Amino acid sequence: MKQLRILLISDSFILREGVKTLLSLLERPYKMEECESPTFNFNRLLTKLKPNVVIAKPDMLLPYTVLPRKNDENGQIYYVGLTDDHTPTKLKSRYDFLLPIGEDKTTLLQLLESMLSSTGYLNEKPESNTLSERELTILKYIALGNTNNEIAERLFISTHTVMTHRKNITRKLGIKTVSGLTVYAILNKLIKVEELQVIKQENK
Amino acid sequence: MHIHKDLKMADVIHLNHHLLPVINRFGIQLGFGDNSVEEVCQNYGLNLDFFLEILNTFHDPTYFPLANLQKFSAKMLIDYLQKTHQYYLEEKIPEIENRIQHLIEDVAFEAQHLQVLMDFFINYKNELISHINSEEERVYPYALALERKLSGKVHIDDELILSRNYSIRLYEEDHDDVESKLFDLKNIIIKYFPSPIESSRFNSILHELFELENDLNNHGHIEDLILVPIVEKMEKELAELSDKV
Repeated sequence: MKQLRILLISDSFILREGVKTLLSLLERPYKMEECESPTFNFNRLLTKLKPNVVIAKPDMLLPYTVLPRKNDENGQIYYVGLTDDHTPTKLKSRYDFLLPIGEDKTTLLQLLESMLSSTGYLNEKPESNTLSERELTILKYIALGNTNNEIAERLFISTHTVMTHRKNITRKLGIKTVSGLTVYAILNKLIKVEELQVIKQENK
Repeated sequence: MHIHKDLKMADVIHLNHHLLPVINRFGIQLGFGDNSVEEVCQNYGLNLDFFLEILNTFHDPTYFPLANLQKFSAKMLIDYLQKTHQYYLEEKIPEIENRIQHLIEDVAFEAQHLQVLMDFFINYKNELISHINSEEERVYPYALALERKLSGKVHIDDELILSRNYSIRLYEEDHDDVESKLFDLKNIIIKYFPSPIESSRFNSILHELFELENDLNNHGHIEDLILVPIVEKMEKELAELSDKV
């Protein structure tokens, strides 16, 4: 699933807190990085966070003549400008969406929801967290202590594919370490404790 | 709200009781009466500013200690960090281990699964211990040697430690895997334990794990935000000194 990742740029504390409050009222999951300094390195932040939505006070992005439209994962980056009556039209035109900060709460919420929806990051159904047959097989091999290469050889797939499966397994289960995955596999009867002990002894 | 010197110590605890173990580490005992933070520090002969910085970084994860940084000695800081290590090794970890052990003894029919959980925890414990050891054997002695060197009170071993070309930059974040294991352990219990066991029995274990995680985060935070800058500053001073010679 495409995760909503927001980069919030404003030197105004009140404005940042306000945007965060609005976002939390939408009750959708998102990841956010904040930036308050006008001298920040915009491109570095883009690489680090890979945001798909940048919400900014327009003067903060003035030093950057070009606003990158693609993030590292080749996803579209949308720009939301926090505008007021004094924001010059020329500045406004750089943004995909405008959020006039003088509006009332209901309007702001509607605007924010509709602009985030049109980016495609809000509407998607939450992905199922059940493991596929293939993932279960690979999980079993991981739990039994096989390396990526060994798994690749046994299943006649590339190491790269194994790694992709691993990433998905970790994401779906919320378990990051190999020993954590092993515990999961035992608790779910994918492998038996005895099988593990055999391996331990072999290793000795 | 930040904690400041004029607050009553009792109110600080009412505000955030998670600070209790932190206060313990400074040797402060309960029964503050109406004493303010400042008065308590005086009674115990503690450095007020340092105490406040530590309390505030713990109290508010977004708190950034900056202004008073230079005032603290590495020794003061490391004394505190070592006490937190002690707290993990002597109190928190045995406490959690005990609780899991009790559960294993009480719930015979799930014993095998619980044992797997225990093995995982032991595994985690060993990693935490080796992480702690590497800090106590390499990072802290190096920082202390630097400090003594700069103040002209060199110990016999200091030259040796400093001659190893160690630098605080090498002190990379190898907290990573230790952190992930703790995260996994919580998630396994919360999401995946096939539980005919009355799950309230897990509450206290989970509670302890959350507390430990929180404390470890703060510990790492203090190392990154206070210790590392102090050491970097000393490294610079030492380099400037040797340039002059």
